[in-house]
Amino acid sequence: MMVGAETIQSALRPAGPEAARLTDLWWIFFWTCASFYAALMAFFVAAWIRGRQNVEPDVTPATERSHTTAVTAALIVSAIGLLALLVTSVAAGRAVGKFATNSNQLEIEVTGHQWWWEVKYPNPAAPNQQVVTANEMHIPINTHVLLRLDTRDDIHSLWIPNLHGKRDLIPGRVNKIFIQADRPGVYRGQCAELCGLQHAHMALVVVAEEPEKFAEWKKRESLGAPTPQTPEQVRGQQVFLGAPCANCHNITGIDASATLGPDLTHVRSRPTLAAGMLLNTRGNLAGWISNAPAIKPGAQMPPNQLAAGELQDLLAYLDTLR
Amino acid sequence: MCNVRRSPFAVRRGGSSASGQRPTANLFLLAVLLALAACHREQRSIAPTAISAARTFPVRVNNPYEGNAYAIAEGQRLYEQYNCSGCHFHGGGGIGPALMDNEWIYGSSPANIYTSIAEGRPNGMPSWGGHIPDYQIWELTTYVRALGGFEGRVATASRSDEMEAKRAEEPKK
Amino acid sequence: MKWSYKPKDINQSAKGIACCDWVNRGCAFANGKIFFNTLDGKTCAVNATNGQEVWVTQVANMARGESITMAPLVVKNKVLVGDSGGEFGVRGALTALDTETGKQIWKAYSIGPDADCLIGPNFKPFYPSDRGKDLGVTSWPPDLWKIGGGTVWGWISYDPQLDLIYYGTANPGPWNPEQRPGDNKWTCGIFARRPDSGEAVWFYQWSPHDEYDYDGVNEQILVDVPINGRMRKVLVRAERNGHVYVLDRTTGEVLSATPFVYITTSKGVDPKTGRLIPNEEKSPGFGRVVREICPASPGAKDWQPSAYSPVTGLLYIPHQNLCQDEEGVQANYIAGTPYVGANVKMYAGPGGHRGEYDAWDPIHARKVWSIRERFPVWSGTLVTAGNVAFYGTMEGWFKAVNATTGDLLWQFKTGSGIVGQPVTFLAPDGKQYISVLSGVGGWSGAIVPGQLDPRDGTAALGFVNAMGDLPMYTTKGGMLYTFGLP
Repeated sequence: MMVGAETIQSALRPAGPEAARLTDLWWIFFWTCASFYAALMAFFVAAWIRGRQNVEPDVTPATERSHTTAVTAALIVSAIGLLALLVTSVAAGRAVGKFATNSNQLEIEVTGHQWWWEVKYPNPAAPNQQVVTANEMHIPINTHVLLRLDTRDDIHSLWIPNLHGKRDLIPGRVNKIFIQADRPGVYRGQCAELCGLQHAHMALVVVAEEPEKFAEWKKRESLGAPTPQTPEQVRGQQVFLGAPCANCHNITGIDASATLGPDLTHVRSRPTLAAGMLLNTRGNLAGWISNAPAIKPGAQMPPNQLAAGELQDLLAYLDTLR
Repeated sequence: MCNVRRSPFAVRRGGSSASGQRPTANLFLLAVLLALAACHREQRSIAPTAISAARTFPVRVNNPYEGNAYAIAEGQRLYEQYNCSGCHFHGGGGIGPALMDNEWIYGSSPANIYTSIAEGRPNGMPSWGGHIPDYQIWELTTYVRALGGFEGRVATASRSDEMEAKRAEEPKK
Repeated sequence: MKWSYKPKDINQSAKGIACCDWVNRGCAFANGKIFFNTLDGKTCAVNATNGQEVWVTQVANMARGESITMAPLVVKNKVLVGDSGGEFGVRGALTALDTETGKQIWKAYSIGPDADCLIGPNFKPFYPSDRGKDLGVTSWPPDLWKIGGGTVWGWISYDPQLDLIYYGTANPGPWNPEQRPGDNKWTCGIFARRPDSGEAVWFYQWSPHDEYDYDGVNEQILVDVPINGRMRKVLVRAERNGHVYVLDRTTGEVLSATPFVYITTSKGVDPKTGRLIPNEEKSPGFGRVVREICPASPGAKDWQPSAYSPVTGLLYIPHQNLCQDEEGVQANYIAGTPYVGANVKMYAGPGGHRGEYDAWDPIHARKVWSIRERFPVWSGTLVTAGNVAFYGTMEGWFKAVNATTGDLLWQFKTGSGIVGQPVTFLAPDGKQYISVLSGVGGWSGAIVPGQLDPRDGTAALGFVNAMGDLPMYTTKGGMLYTFGLP
């Protein structure tokens, strides 16, 4: 799966009912404001032309009265227009903010970190089936999805324009938002609240897919890492466990259970690296491991000095994590 | 801020005229400009190099981050993330010794603290050299020095980040 | 001195993986040998007559954060040894060693697949929630059972009639409960096992999905008492979560669970399911500071063993009266380093006193009398046939009280705070003596020997916040006091 031309990040191309509601609202605002603007400009131009023709000011009590009437009428029309917009806006806000809980909804925990997204699919009935990934979110189409938003550091804000508006992630409290996708597609989400140096590079990919494909993906994600096969992969696993990697990253299935950085159990199945900054290619991964802060200054992933052979072994091992 | 301070001065001197005083005013302006030029923004290593991640031998004596607020803040983050706080807590100690008092079993100089972190100590302090990048050991060193009160008030955060035991509305002891 | 023995090659770095001061809870005597454990994970067998080393076995793996602080128990020529390290992401286990050779006979893990936990066809827990395949894996997020704690650092009891050993399992790790959804079996519970094979017979979980470090390792008092007019073989347990439990020790059924301190973290025990009902309002988690968590993490009562008097029919419980504020933070697992994820600050509970010494009637489930102490009563206790109960305080007072009324009969100021257990014995001269070790320390007393800084309330897992004034009352020491009875 490539992320490129077909990736969409647009509030004007809604892919779900909430976003559609907001898009409708946007167009209502657009056309209302545009027509008011056009009318205003027309009056202005007319006044300007008349002003050039009439050298003498035409001020009599009668014209004064007619002017007052015109201004009053304009005021009333504007007030009605604004009020209508207010009502539409509040109505739309209420509609998309409704937390209709239903039994077959999906719950996902999204946690903001400087500067990446942690995405967890909890399973209270069988916690060992829980799935954790990073900077990507898979959702089944035509399903109510409840996102529980939390953060481990700053305030962040999740914005997936094709699916919904923004919702802040506040330390110490869990904010909720419902999304739903009507058709399969790949959508881009982005942090929408300034959260430090790499705020601009804090994106995630949302993959909306048929429920069967989603279930398949989730099943694959719930498996642990495979046992390395080739000598290169075996050595690579040792590099991972011996190098600083295991201080921060988790790989389910091996002795690496750290929680600071993204879970790497299926790292090579994800579309991007570095929270949407790089395509997930072997070369990009090599560069990222060798010197992440050079690519993304301020990123908490430190540069790693590995011998060339070690790096190749490590990449060979990471390649198995799909 | 500098502008605000300079302008009333310039107006008063200029207004009271006497052209002979102009050079004094200009000299003063020049001094202010020179003083401003001496101000510099703190160097923040937001993109540490691969070289700074490698260990150097012999251990350098001077701390590259002394007085650096960014390094202290980064050190504080790492102190929590690498579980230093699990033993030393927020300076009071527990499993490991206190870091906010005057007693330093293995010395309090930056090089001493660096060595304690990098090489470990026999009574339970693990060695971190080779497990974390070298520049992070120096950031941790700087934060530990700040806990011990060696880093001065300018660069150190004015309050700790861990929770308050009391409610905000309760009087402080 | 007759003899002295010091194990060779003690690894000093074990001090860095002992959560709550460098402690040892005692030794055991059997078959002419003394058995004891060392902090760096060894079990030593020493000839009791001459102090010669018989064998030394490395039981715990320090590189994984495992240490040993508990007192072993010898049952049927087996030394039973459990591990410590619940704050370091270890996988708790109980090991049986041969008394003659020190070779491992069986090892029962507290978490993981049934085979590792020695759970087989004869495992018959009383409550349905404890039945199912591999619950030690499925009640944890992926892989976290490998580092989930459930250590065995408390007391083991043996009922020769039923041929069952009983012991508790400690807290799940990390403390931050949001990182480990699920019941986290088999932590914070009690196992009954066959001593010969280690096979599990029943299990009961005091605190499913424990949120407050309420280790389930306290001592179990095995008595036969009439309950509702019927004689029953029961197991009495003053538990860290604040309840005195009376369990049927043949089946694991909860006969009663009664609060003996002020509790905000739970709303009682469901008599049908046997399950502790948690109070969601006091649930700690990421970035939230939860106030007035009572009892605090050391629980209503920690490891300090209580005593039962058949004369009065009462249980004597030394314990603490503490509450705490707690904030969840991210626990990061790095092997051999702490794995906790919580900032804690403890303080005195209602009444302002930090310790209590209670007499409890287990049959009628009520408190008979109670003595308040300034500091947690962190010493064990002893009650004699002469109707005298003994306990020590952290200031250093060794006290004798009337076991029926609780009236103070005698007290003696020792050189340091008391956190040891008093014992009584009949010496060859025909006289009865009482001995107690004086020397403050342990989790509650760590501030004194560790010279911790009281300005940081989170120090020593938050205990320093409650014990800042202890250094003004006592200094460190290490003395054995022996008193003759008149």
